[in-house]
Amino acid sequence: MAHILVVEDEQPISDLITMNLKLVGHTYAKAYTGLEAAEMLEHGHTDLILLDVMLPGLDGFTVMQRIAHLRIPVILITAKNALADRIKGFELGAEDYIIKPFEMLELLARINVVLRRNEQSAPAFICDEVEVRFAERKVMVDRQPVDLTAREFELLEVLIRNRNIALSREKLLELAWGYDFAGDTRTVDVHIRQLRKKLGWEDTIRTVFKLGYRLEVEV
Amino acid sequence: MRFWHKNLLAVLILFIAALDISVIMVMKKSWRLNMDSETRRAASEQMLIVNNIFENLDSIRARGSTLTPVLLASVAQSNGDYYLSQGIGLELRENGRLLYPNTGGGQNRQVGQTIVLSKPLPAPYQDMELTYSRDISGLYAQQQELNRFFVMINWIAGPVLALLLYLLIRRLTKPLKQLSETTRTIAGGDYSNRVELRSRDEFGELAVHFNRMAAAVEQRMTELSDMAEEKQRMVDNLAHELRTPLTSMQGFAEFLTSANIGREEQIKAGRYIWSETVRLKNLAFKLLDLSVLRHQPMVLSEVGVTGLFEAVKQTEEHQLKESGIPLEIVSSIPAVRGDADLLAAFLVNLIENAIHASKPGSPVHLLAYEQNGEAVLEVRDSGRGMTAEQSKRAFEPFYRADPARSRLYGNAGLGLSLCRQIAEAHQARVELESVPGQGTGIRLILQLPNNWPLTL
Repeated sequence: MAHILVVEDEQPISDLITMNLKLVGHTYAKAYTGLEAAEMLEHGHTDLILLDVMLPGLDGFTVMQRIAHLRIPVILITAKNALADRIKGFELGAEDYIIKPFEMLELLARINVVLRRNEQSAPAFICDEVEVRFAERKVMVDRQPVDLTAREFELLEVLIRNRNIALSREKLLELAWGYDFAGDTRTVDVHIRQLRKKLGWEDTIRTVFKLGYRLEVEV
Repeated sequence: MRFWHKNLLAVLILFIAALDISVIMVMKKSWRLNMDSETRRAASEQMLIVNNIFENLDSIRARGSTLTPVLLASVAQSNGDYYLSQGIGLELRENGRLLYPNTGGGQNRQVGQTIVLSKPLPAPYQDMELTYSRDISGLYAQQQELNRFFVMINWIAGPVLALLLYLLIRRLTKPLKQLSETTRTIAGGDYSNRVELRSRDEFGELAVHFNRMAAAVEQRMTELSDMAEEKQRMVDNLAHELRTPLTSMQGFAEFLTSANIGREEQIKAGRYIWSETVRLKNLAFKLLDLSVLRHQPMVLSEVGVTGLFEAVKQTEEHQLKESGIPLEIVSSIPAVRGDADLLAAFLVNLIENAIHASKPGSPVHLLAYEQNGEAVLEVRDSGRGMTAEQSKRAFEPFYRADPARSRLYGNAGLGLSLCRQIAEAHQARVELESVPGQGTGIRLILQLPNNWPLTL
């Protein structure tokens, strides 16, 4: 989907982020210092940067100033919750700001928002005989268009964006239709059943015991 | 009312009052003296006239003439005419009856401005009385003139004095104004401001003291802001140290439960959860150590160096062997005074740092010796060393000279700040000496046991 540079000096967190990115189909590169990141950005294409603020050597803010001319969207990741830092980040042109500790689903959601805003999210998702075109809101099975309701499409998009990650019914409800949606978790079950039937995804959309649903595709 | 207003008014009023009172008193005194001398002169002149008349009468009597009132009047007349030209009036009475002057012209003289003296003639003319009156209006006029002059002087001297006083007092109170202005700017937050005043009087002294105070305040303020900065850095670091492992633990746990992953990645995630838990545990224990050290009284005793070093070596044996680093012990003093457990903790922390800084095969030295009458415990390595900047901050909590490497060992960056606290508890000094690429030496300088007061 997108190529993302993860700049984080903490090995565990760097691994955590990249393992999740891989799961939902992004490709990634890792940098452990600001200098390394700046160098990697000069060569090669990058769609998005996840940038830690407290880095050895060059800190995140300095890196942002240095790579400003490349116009690559940046999401800042930091343990500092000070308002002044957040303001500084946004002033330097950060797209978003996420504070440790964070939930992976939240980070992925924010990544998607930023990618979409910068029109760098993948135009289509293809798995076996199913093709989903996000811009046109069209779904094809065996090259034949399938009719999906708006709700079904929104749910499908959330599953694809967070594929290989189990999502609870509550989370699906929230991510697909928003907090203020006036349905209960049964609505999710009904729509999942519809999606499975319409796309022939009886096994691809798995029910995970005690958790919810997961769209399983090859990484 | 401003100070200089009060000063000016007070001095002006006092001065004019003092001047006026003394001038009035002088004038009064001179008036009295003039009056006295006039009176004396009048008395002696009267005496002269009386004698003169007496002699005239005597000679008239000797010639055998009787003293008729007309004769008497003519005698008086001959004297009176002469004296009248000098402003002196004479009256001769016999038994209260006026003989001379026969005209009533003498009555029109003002009473207040004459000296009037009456004296009977000597016997046998004792029933005759001579009244002498001297006109002193000149004296009064003089006094009046003086009074006028005095008022005029007052009118002129008052304003001139006020002007001079104004200039003088403005000049004298200028330092006060300067001081108050400086005080205001300092109160406004500009602590670097000083009073520019180089006089030798009390104001100069005050300015010197004031500047000294301002310097002390400024120093205290910078100290405070430095301290606040260090504290903020510590809070930031603590937040980072807590949030980072928590993020990993939470994230990997989430990953394990909800992600569609293979066995290998499960193991990786599980291992991270484990290692980050250890890291958090280490942090918690180090923080606990620091807090305990701060609140627990320590037990001072004579600590044998051999035993201490043996215990330290045993603790670190495993790590030393794993890293392939030999520990070389040299001790030239038998004992130091201190808390055995704390000293061991101090040395263990230093040796761990030394191991992490050293390459395999490069030895770490553990030394005990005497220097300038003090006991020194030293840990020295030939490892990577630190830059001056790193050395300066080495004792700060959570500071790591090399974050990436030291985190591999699950270090929280609290080792040296723990060491600093242990040294402070012993009232001992810590010296750090480090050269990049050549190694680091850290010395704890303690009292020798025999130097310690025996009463303790």
